[in-house]
Amino acid sequence: MKKGYISKRLLRSILSIMIIMLIVFTMVYTMVPRENIFFEDSTYRKLSSKSDDKTEYVYSTWEKLGYLDYVRINDYCLTLYQAGAPEMAAAVAPDSPESQDFVRIYTEKGYTIENYLGNGRYYAYKDVPVIKRMASWLSQLLVIDTPWSVQDENNPELPRSLSLGRTPTGGVALIGSGSTHKYLLYTDSRFPWLHQNIIKLNFGTSYPTYQGLQVMRVLFQTQGTEVKRHVVFETGYETESGINFGTLKYKSVLDRMDRKKFVDNYADYEVFRNQPSMIGTSFRMGILAMLLAYFLGLPIGVLMARNKDKLVDKLGMVYIIFIIAVPSLAYIYLFRYLGTTLFNLPSVFTTYGPGDVRSWILPVISLSLPTIAGLMLWTRRYVVDQMSADYVKFAKAKGLNQREIFNKHIFKNAIIPIAHGIPTSLALCITGAIITEAIYSVGGMGKMLPSAIKQYNNVMIVALAFMFSTVSVLAVLAGDIVLTKVDPRISLSEKAGRS
Amino acid sequence: MEAENINLFEFAAFDELESEHIAAPRYSYWKSVWRTFFKNKFTVAVAILLVFILCFALIQPKLSGYSPIVTPNINNASMKFLKPSAEHIFGTDHVGNEVFDAVWAGARNSIIVSFVCTAINMIVGIPIGALWGFSKRMDRWMLEVYNVISNIPFLLLAMILSYVLGAGMRSLIITMTCTEWVFVAYFIRTQVMIIRDREYNMASKCLGTGTWTMIMKNVLPYLISVIMTYASRQIPTLISYEVFLSWMGLGLGTTNASLGQSIAMYTSYMNGYPHLFWIPVSVLAIISISLYIVGQKLADAADPRTHM
Repeated sequence: MKKGYISKRLLRSILSIMIIMLIVFTMVYTMVPRENIFFEDSTYRKLSSKSDDKTEYVYSTWEKLGYLDYVRINDYCLTLYQAGAPEMAAAVAPDSPESQDFVRIYTEKGYTIENYLGNGRYYAYKDVPVIKRMASWLSQLLVIDTPWSVQDENNPELPRSLSLGRTPTGGVALIGSGSTHKYLLYTDSRFPWLHQNIIKLNFGTSYPTYQGLQVMRVLFQTQGTEVKRHVVFETGYETESGINFGTLKYKSVLDRMDRKKFVDNYADYEVFRNQPSMIGTSFRMGILAMLLAYFLGLPIGVLMARNKDKLVDKLGMVYIIFIIAVPSLAYIYLFRYLGTTLFNLPSVFTTYGPGDVRSWILPVISLSLPTIAGLMLWTRRYVVDQMSADYVKFAKAKGLNQREIFNKHIFKNAIIPIAHGIPTSLALCITGAIITEAIYSVGGMGKMLPSAIKQYNNVMIVALAFMFSTVSVLAVLAGDIVLTKVDPRISLSEKAGRS
Repeated sequence: MEAENINLFEFAAFDELESEHIAAPRYSYWKSVWRTFFKNKFTVAVAILLVFILCFALIQPKLSGYSPIVTPNINNASMKFLKPSAEHIFGTDHVGNEVFDAVWAGARNSIIVSFVCTAINMIVGIPIGALWGFSKRMDRWMLEVYNVISNIPFLLLAMILSYVLGAGMRSLIITMTCTEWVFVAYFIRTQVMIIRDREYNMASKCLGTGTWTMIMKNVLPYLISVIMTYASRQIPTLISYEVFLSWMGLGLGTTNASLGQSIAMYTSYMNGYPHLFWIPVSVLAIISISLYIVGQKLADAADPRTHM
């Protein structure tokens, strides 16, 4: 491989991802009517249709989501007078000279000026161009936590430091003060044992579903009911709690309970729950299905190739044609029906929950069915092609036995194109399986994109599109690298001397 | 005796035109394709079944005039959920409509959508893919175009288009073609790259054949069986997409019959009235499988190497 190929390709991949995001931003923020985002919003429905509160709510929500810049006459007057000054009441009225100035200034700036329906006061708004929104989204994407992250007016004397210490659960930790997280880097007994809070991805706050929650938290936090255990807090206070000490975050205003438990301002935490996160559920299911598919698909494909045109081959072909031709919706229902009636397995995941092996069997099998068919088909194709190659005849003439020829020569060559697809199928595990998860009611990632689209959760759509496209573009690159590792003859960059 | 016999022969005149003619067995490509195709009795049986189903699916809905929003028996409980019988061949559904009519009306739309989309994808994808495979300069940026288009979330696109154009056949066809062609092009590109540098193409290039002539005369005829295989896989795949989109509520819309919609609608009755679910699924499976088998066999027959 030529030096610099990977870095150049990485650069082009990043460019591709940016273009994808630009397209997604354009689609989501300009082609979907912006009024639609309120369909699922209960606050919006409670506001009466003609009140100024509703106008206020609508525009401030749009501003929060980055659709537009929204300026009220109040905001303008606050730049002229002190809050609560006696001139304010007169200034905000529609016929005041300040209002005339407001209209003039913001019309010049390209804003659209309108009046509130109730009190007739002025407000102005201006759409934010897509490029600008994407730029601001990108600039907030990476959040790095430093001891200067928290700027709190209520607590100006917050010490700013980094120190080594221990977590209450006994792990080693890098403890920050003045940072958003208390434990910036810590160890504990959970996979992957070393956790960090220094660099976090920030996709924004979910709206209108999962309102007020960070997108990352929606996808990554554990689900189900709180798992309580006996905990002794730093203050000596003992209670039953599901607290995850690693997630302790800065909280500006402490209540009585917080003071009872914590000695400092780090009192905001998440709890352990009894079910894995959405992404965790999907990933586990995907990995299991993938392992099953490779363990079954590869050997069966090889078996079919070695018994070409015999019964095994024909049966295998029947299965492959069935999977290709019948819509997945139909055969997943068919296999669920067979599994529940013949083996008495639960028809939905939630019957026994993720803690029980029986819940996983049917979804994993359903998920692996198409992958098995694909692997059988291609493994058979590649092995058949290799079996008629000259080097195989030569090896046979040299007196190698069938097994040797097969294991040492044919299989090695036939596996090359298969290996190319492994990173992609690994990466696809996190996207979740839309149909399988819906049919078995699995709480995974599969439902997220469809429901985000249906419920106009634009923040979520953008976040998922970014995650999925990044993972898949990088997986294609990883696949090519795997290809060159498995087969050193393959070169990714163009050879010198060939145009 | 011998002398007499010799006198019976005549010297033939030398025909210059005839001497230039090379004696070869008469070979017609399309005749050979059909001969190879009809040799297999199983294939012929499936093909007849397929033609019958296609004709039936195209004609029956015209006669029944089925529409999912016309529900004359909705208040007549005695007409609902009837088991299949001589009178109601496939039984009746939750609003008292004939499942038989619903299934064939749905099949008609699914077949039309998948055929039209496959045709568009092939017509757009093949020439672009062929050029892409030939030109290394084009390859570099087309790969990024592929990366971009193939990663646009399909569901999002489907939803946006059903917004902009309104749900219906037009938006569904656009949804299933406006990104799907890139996969056809990518597939053709890889195939073209494999045979681009074969000796006969090198020779052709040396003799000054233009790129476009080489694609049309040297490369695409060689790929015809591969393209047929791909097309025969594409039709069931697109039917499957249609089912999936309708199941998500993004398909043809509630006013049009569709197999996907029927399946999605009848799923909830699977335990009580299993025939409601299994009949559309089986019809769909029979259509898809026979289309696939006929397509594969046509692809085999289209490969001149099988004509010997």
